[in-house]
Amino acid sequence: MFGRLQTERPEPPETKVPELENIPEAGIGYHIDAWWWLVALVAGIIAILSITKPDPYWRIVLFVRDGIGITVLITVVSFILMLFVGMLGGLGRISKNKFIHLVTTLYVELVRGIPLLVQLIWWYFAFPVIIKQIGVWTHISFLENYEANAIVLAIFGFVFCYGAYMSEIFRAGIQSIPKGQMEAARSLGMSYFQSMRYVVLPQAIRVILPPVGNEFIALLKDSSLVSAVALADLTRRGREFMAANFDPLQVWTMIALLYLVMTLFSARIVNYIERRTKFER
Amino acid sequence: MKDNNEPIIKIENIHKRFGKVHALRGVNLQVKKGEVVVIVGPSGSGKSTLLRCINRLEEYTSGKIIVDGIPLDTAQNINLVRQEIGMVFQSFNLFAHLTVLDNLMLAQKIIRKRSPEESRKIAVDLLKKVGIPEKLNAYPAQISGGQQQRVAIARALAMNPRIMLFDEPTSALDPEMIKEVLDVMMQLAKEGMTMVVVSHEMGFARAAAHRIIFMDEGQIIEEAPPEVLFTNPKQERTKRFLSKVLNH
Repeated sequence: MFGRLQTERPEPPETKVPELENIPEAGIGYHIDAWWWLVALVAGIIAILSITKPDPYWRIVLFVRDGIGITVLITVVSFILMLFVGMLGGLGRISKNKFIHLVTTLYVELVRGIPLLVQLIWWYFAFPVIIKQIGVWTHISFLENYEANAIVLAIFGFVFCYGAYMSEIFRAGIQSIPKGQMEAARSLGMSYFQSMRYVVLPQAIRVILPPVGNEFIALLKDSSLVSAVALADLTRRGREFMAANFDPLQVWTMIALLYLVMTLFSARIVNYIERRTKFER
Repeated sequence: MKDNNEPIIKIENIHKRFGKVHALRGVNLQVKKGEVVVIVGPSGSGKSTLLRCINRLEEYTSGKIIVDGIPLDTAQNINLVRQEIGMVFQSFNLFAHLTVLDNLMLAQKIIRKRSPEESRKIAVDLLKKVGIPEKLNAYPAQISGGQQQRVAIARALAMNPRIMLFDEPTSALDPEMIKEVLDVMMQLAKEGMTMVVVSHEMGFARAAAHRIIFMDEGQIIEEAPPEVLFTNPKQERTKRFLSKVLNH
């Protein structure tokens, strides 16, 4: 009785899509692991140069060591903070509240239209002027005597700028999750935020991991821009060493290799996390 | 105590517009406790929209819906009503990142504030009831469509709903899986669950429904018990629709 209409029913669409890895010739799994050799190769070149020609290569490494620390610090701290900004921005961009939507959209559009270098310079040189002026008006001596902290303002600048791009990534990620997931959660009586927190975001995060990983690597490279605002990062320390010794070829080759080993290594980590968190849909 | 004849769902003069489309044109419907109502009609007739208005997944333009004495007006009331209504979707909508067991436990823990042990026990019992006790730790993508839909029914039941809504629950299923889902629904109907079902399964409608509602162009055209509606429809439009879906 139940099956009377079955003969007329069109076949439902095939839900199982063959995964790339299952296509034999592609060999992606093999290549992914092979990229680790590239990391080892670059690290090896740095080591060989340092050992065979300690002057100047090992001296350069020792000299720029603290610069590497600053570069890593700025990158990691900015990245963690911009994840929060990106999540809030992404939620704001899909908000039904017109005011929140307008504010976040304005933020994203403004930030994306200004070069990062200009933004960093603005935060370091222009922002303190505003703070001091506010201090003068309000007679709050703490603000009047505000001293620009290069690291804090650099991190601020990166979070502000990258947060906008990150917002768009989060927005796209959340919107890529089928609407039915939200509806199912709401139909069980969960609030909007509970549904986001327990159902939509955990799935969106897996979708946005590749672009977010790319942002981390882009940020690592863009962090060299802070050398323009009096921060002794890897790039700036390289310039200082060159000014003292004048051997541009050796210094900038070494700096390039150091950036390269960091970005390649990060790419491998991102790739590893991606594969660990993958799930079938 | 409430009067037993008091309808558990009261829909009064509901209108719904999507832009220029007038999807629901003044629908009135009452469902009594323990009643199984099947809504049929051609596609685009507004039956899914009406169903989705009952737990306010769809906002309506005007009219009034009262579920179990609670009007669907404030956000708080809507969440309260949703906790009492289980919903089963055409596309299953199992949480893709959670195992079958976690799909059943999530809302129990968050909304019903049950302990992990208690919600786990309820989940395991319900999976036995819908006939898939062995798929506890599978992810939705690893089980068949029929199994997914049965898990979705169990997920809704885990909240101890007083009403179940089914939105074309078998339309996305392979033919050989339709029966396993309908069997579970039949069993629920026999146990006295209040059910509102949008479906093209005329066999199920005939066997389980107390009342068939025929909708077309956003209005209820005719309603009657299945034996009456299928054999002796009054309205011309109902006759035309039934002749298309029954005679082949």
